[in-house]
Amino acid sequence: MTSAVWLASEPALLPSRIQMAFTLASHVLLVPLGVALPSLTLLMEGIGLSRKDPVAIKIARRWSVVMAVQFAVGAVTGTILSFEFGILWPRMMGRFGSAFGLGFAIEGLAFFLEAIFIGIYLYGWNRLPPRLHFLLGLVLPPTGLVGAFGVLAANAWMNTPAGITLEGGRLTNVDVLAALFTRALGYEFWHFVIAIYMTAGFVVASVYAVAWLRGRRDHYQRLAFAVPFTVAALLTPVQLAVGDLSARALTEDQPAKFAAIEITWQTRDHNPEVILGLIDDSGRVHLGISVPSLDSLLVGYSPNAIVRGLRSFPADARPSSVEANIAHLAFDLMVGLGSAGALVALWHLWVLARRRRPPDSVWFYRLAALAGVGSYVAVEAGWVTTEVGRQPWIVYGLMRVSDAVTTAPASFVWTMLATLIVVYALIAFFFISLLLRLAARWRREDLGEPSAPEVGVPYGPRPGKFTPDA
Amino acid sequence: MPELIAFVLLLAITAYSTAGGVDFGAGIWDLLAGPSERGRRARALIDHAMAPVWEVNNVWLVLAIVLCWTGFPLLFQVVFAGLYPLFTFALIGLILRGAFFAFRHIADQPRAHRLADLVFGVSSVLTPFFFAASLGAIASGRLVPFSPMSIAFGLVSVAATAFSGASFLVGDARRYGAEELVGYFRRRAVAAALVLIAVGTVALVTIGLQAPGLLRSMLTGKGLPFALVTMVLTPTVVFLLWRGVYRWYRVLTVAAVGSLVFAWAFAQSPYLVPGQLTIDQAIAPPGAQVLLLIVSAVLLLVIAPAMGLLYYLDQKGALESTEG
Repeated sequence: MTSAVWLASEPALLPSRIQMAFTLASHVLLVPLGVALPSLTLLMEGIGLSRKDPVAIKIARRWSVVMAVQFAVGAVTGTILSFEFGILWPRMMGRFGSAFGLGFAIEGLAFFLEAIFIGIYLYGWNRLPPRLHFLLGLVLPPTGLVGAFGVLAANAWMNTPAGITLEGGRLTNVDVLAALFTRALGYEFWHFVIAIYMTAGFVVASVYAVAWLRGRRDHYQRLAFAVPFTVAALLTPVQLAVGDLSARALTEDQPAKFAAIEITWQTRDHNPEVILGLIDDSGRVHLGISVPSLDSLLVGYSPNAIVRGLRSFPADARPSSVEANIAHLAFDLMVGLGSAGALVALWHLWVLARRRRPPDSVWFYRLAALAGVGSYVAVEAGWVTTEVGRQPWIVYGLMRVSDAVTTAPASFVWTMLATLIVVYALIAFFFISLLLRLAARWRREDLGEPSAPEVGVPYGPRPGKFTPDA
Repeated sequence: MPELIAFVLLLAITAYSTAGGVDFGAGIWDLLAGPSERGRRARALIDHAMAPVWEVNNVWLVLAIVLCWTGFPLLFQVVFAGLYPLFTFALIGLILRGAFFAFRHIADQPRAHRLADLVFGVSSVLTPFFFAASLGAIASGRLVPFSPMSIAFGLVSVAATAFSGASFLVGDARRYGAEELVGYFRRRAVAAALVLIAVGTVALVTIGLQAPGLLRSMLTGKGLPFALVTMVLTPTVVFLLWRGVYRWYRVLTVAAVGSLVFAWAFAQSPYLVPGQLTIDQAIAPPGAQVLLLIVSAVLLLVIAPAMGLLYYLDQKGALESTEG
């Protein structure tokens, strides 16, 4: 209802929201490998150096190529996002830029350093002394983490804004530390960082799970599967605990978001936990499995714990029923996938601890192959939960999305959106065909044609000699 | 302190105009190289020279954007609210350019390859044009996307990027021993510099008609020293390259293009948007200023040595591929 009113009064609101959602959803897919793959690569290089294992070094070198290509694509989609803040949400940036933007200033710095050191790391293979190459690479994980910190500080600020003084609608002072370290940052940061390390681990391992299913069972495959999968598996139980803390913190920090996630309409005790299901405008829940009192138990460790419902918020200060349903289903999807991932992770860790090698079952590798895709879906679902659950606010409690949106004509934003979709499809096509081509070439090399893994990659180092006829 | 932050923002814009300009310029020459055998060789050199550094310059752009919205949120709002079409076009050009530069490395069929060349080349012209047009619209003080000044700034930037691109390609041709291309790009650098001088003169007249105050400040006020540097250095580079003196020409090219940006910015200071918004009116609250200065200092202390290391390794040849 309420969204419909805003959509009518701000014609560019709908295409702007779709465009932001589309470009962010695309960028989020690149983040896990962009931030966490350097760590996995260094871990593999470290194993190679300490055990003098040339296979591990080869794996690390190949991963570094994927890391660089992926970083470059992420840099492009990230640049687009930074412009979209101005093109789509100029009024938010004008009022809150100096508080919201702080994290991005830090992120910009980290991004700069990461770009330089990815170049050095990628080009330095076999040219720099191995130990120096490894040490220079160690700059990468912290720059990725600082970058993630910056972006999450900005997002956390939108969820729990703090550290600002507003006088007559104008921001007159910013307390930098309070604006960077807002209440939501603690759990958002750890929840997201663990999520992307898990995702990177599961995604990389899934490639080699498929290789196993296709019959490749050598030292190369075992190492390239076991290292990332074990990292992800170890993090999975930690994530369940951190995720639980995050959801519980919402009851205080963003109660309307929590009510939407649980599709709770009336404030009450003995609140049931509804799994799946949909809420309508009158607050009735359809379908779904309702577990009596479980929500109250999870929130306050007692069936008597009171959970605040959507109805207790003014209609223009809470998610609409459509938005609540989206946030709720996305949350359930994330939790469901996380729990499924935890079971596969336990299987792996159990066998690994007892027999010092990954499980030998076809079903295990089928699930492990799915874990890669599942992680991406879970990351998207988690991001949808937090963004849609914050509606109608762009800055929780301070500014609505409809007050931030551009005054550009809707037709302009729709056209831009259509163009971006076409361009993103092209980029995805180029990116995926490049990865497939690399995989095919490396496979050929393993069967006996040697050459450097970076040659012919658009972001890789050039050959030592320029030959105009090449 | 607000002036210092404005200066850091100017440095980021200038770094993007000069370093990014070299890349865009190379793309322009790629487009103009044509289907001949010599054109194909020129394109191969451009590819070879750009491969390891292209897109790194985007970092400057992101830095400028972030500095602008954190340091001068009001400027960011009014500029984007008024000039969003220019930024959208520039942005689409930027993505297409990157995507198709990558694509032409993996395109198998000649037709796909030609298409990739074409998109890459055309977007190399349009992207700097639209970015600079937005600066022209700001300088005019009216923030309307298309005006004589925005178009004049756009054309100047296309000429300037073509000039710096050709100048650096002379160096690349020498460095990689492509003797026949040295003269090729030398002639193009000279031609582009002459076009730049012509277009620049037209632009000055346009500024005089649309924003006489700005022209006065460029020719008699704070912009004058930088305008002079550009006016002296551009013919100097022409002279050096004409005579085949291969020393200092690249540094002087960067200095000439950089001074052009400085001349505009200093001429309109203390205004961020002439007649509308000054540095002091748009500046973020003090807390944010402190953080931005810290970030800028770290940038200098950490990034400068890191870039130095990258440059050193590159010059040593330590970063070129080992096999193949």
